[in-house]
Amino acid sequence: MKILLIFTVLFSSVLFALSQDRTPNATVRSIHLPDIRTDLKPGEGREKAESLCVICHSLDYIPMQPGFSKAQWAAIVNKMIKVFGAPINEADANLIINYLAEKYGSKE
Amino acid sequence: MTKNLTRRDFIRAVGGITAMAVSGDLGPDVFAAQKRMFQFPEKDELILLTSRPPNLETPLHHFKKRVTPNKSLFVRWHIANIPTSIDLKEWRLKVGGHTEKELLLSMDELKKFERVTYTAVIQCAGNGRSFFEPKIPGAQWEHGSMGNVTWTGARLRDILNRAGMKSGAIDVSFNGLDTGTLPTVHDFIRSLPADKAMEEDVMVAYEMNGEPLLLLNGYPARLVVPGWYAPYWIKALNEISVWPKRFEGFWMDIAYRIPDNPCACVPPGSTPQKTIPIRRMNTRSLILEPEDGARLSLKKPVRMMGIAFSGGFKIKDVIVSVDGGKNWREAKLGRDEGRYSWIQWFHTWVPSKPGRYGLMARAMNGIGESQPFESLWNPAGYMWNKIEKIGITVE
Ligand code: HEC
Repeated sequence: MKILLIFTVLFSSVLFALSQDRTPNATVRSIHLPDIRTDLKPGEGREKAESLCVICHSLDYIPMQPGFSKAQWAAIVNKMIKVFGAPINEADANLIINYLAEKYGSKE
Repeated sequence: MTKNLTRRDFIRAVGGITAMAVSGDLGPDVFAAQKRMFQFPEKDELILLTSRPPNLETPLHHFKKRVTPNKSLFVRWHIANIPTSIDLKEWRLKVGGHTEKELLLSMDELKKFERVTYTAVIQCAGNGRSFFEPKIPGAQWEHGSMGNVTWTGARLRDILNRAGMKSGAIDVSFNGLDTGTLPTVHDFIRSLPADKAMEEDVMVAYEMNGEPLLLLNGYPARLVVPGWYAPYWIKALNEISVWPKRFEGFWMDIAYRIPDNPCACVPPGSTPQKTIPIRRMNTRSLILEPEDGARLSLKKPVRMMGIAFSGGFKIKDVIVSVDGGKNWREAKLGRDEGRYSWIQWFHTWVPSKPGRYGLMARAMNGIGESQPFESLWNPAGYMWNKIEKIGITVE
């Protein structure tokens, strides 16, 4: 029984290898990127930041920063809007700036 | 639970901490300072800066090897749609613009050009950004967005000659397969001045350390501009265009610029009057052994080792200090792997009394360029090359 099982496993892996070789995709090379989730700190504005700041890149761009003043976070958010075209209206931008300055602000 | 905690579990554990913080059990600062490790496909566990696009930093200890293994090399992408699947039957390198003819090179055709190989440091312009004061927005790299790799490929010059650059060529631009998630995000296109593009050592590489490139490092082909910072080394390259005028684009005209003065620096926190594109790498050295904060025993020799490199002008010497910069001695240099490679350096000394020691290293390249004692600040946080100082305790 055991031997039969081993044989079956061996045989099917040989078949698998053969089928791999004959696929038309032998010239294709692929990877699968992991899906990594970053949660932002709780606070007013978190939901807006989590839904709008994730459109072009992962949220880890935010906690990666060393802690900035409100003026610096405003400059970053405005760069996302004016330079990269982030679809964020003024009210949401202000909410997010306040949130970031409070939760990811400079540590004085 | 802690006993068998793998790094992957560690990520989960950090997630757990986040959940606890949400429920108010822990202060929010708990997860601010965590270094997350993560293993991406074809890679070792690297320091995770960002996941989409992936930006992964190499832990320092990997640099003790003369050449950085492919799986340990850092990863740096700018815009989020990166190529994760390439069919060589479909992939072509298009070469055109201000040329006699247009080429559409397959990988087989690219490999028919004369093969060239050399070892060269690849380094992100923002390597070391996190050390600047005042702090600067961007990817918060420590020293790990660099590596020393043996590249193999075709000379860019041979490819351009095959296409036939017309007279009056000014710039050559390079585009890869990566795109932004919104059309308003500028495609990552970079350019070289035409005379730089025709220099002998610029190559279109299809191998790193004797293997095809890794997808995360630009498979199937990337530009290699030895001596110049990595933003020129376009990954997943598929288009080269020759321009009869200056190439214009966000990533040349707005991003990747430094103050237009000899130190490429301004008083910390200020704005430069005039900027130019960042180009050649400055001179750097790193101490890899002993590790910062190490406790060593008295009377046993202390073996110091590290690496040094410069933007294509070799390393002439490395001097080291074990007393915080008062006295300096010349370190012994390791095997010379060519002017674009880093070189290892070694110094052994026997401490005579217990106490704390400040260890420093300073490299000088073949044209007299060295490293500053104070960092040279610039608004984007590029070209960090301050003399490093580590502290050890002898007891
Ligand atoms: C329209 C696309 C887009 C949106 C939406 C967006 N970003 Fe960005 N962001 C970018 C791009 C492009 C970069 C540059 C990436 C690089 O150079 O690696 C970037 C970089 C950053 C950086 C690094 C600093 C810098 O200037 O490079 C931070 C911090 C950041 N974004 C925060 C945010 C925040 C906060 C939001 C939400 C308010 C946001 N982003 C929304 C496109 C966007």
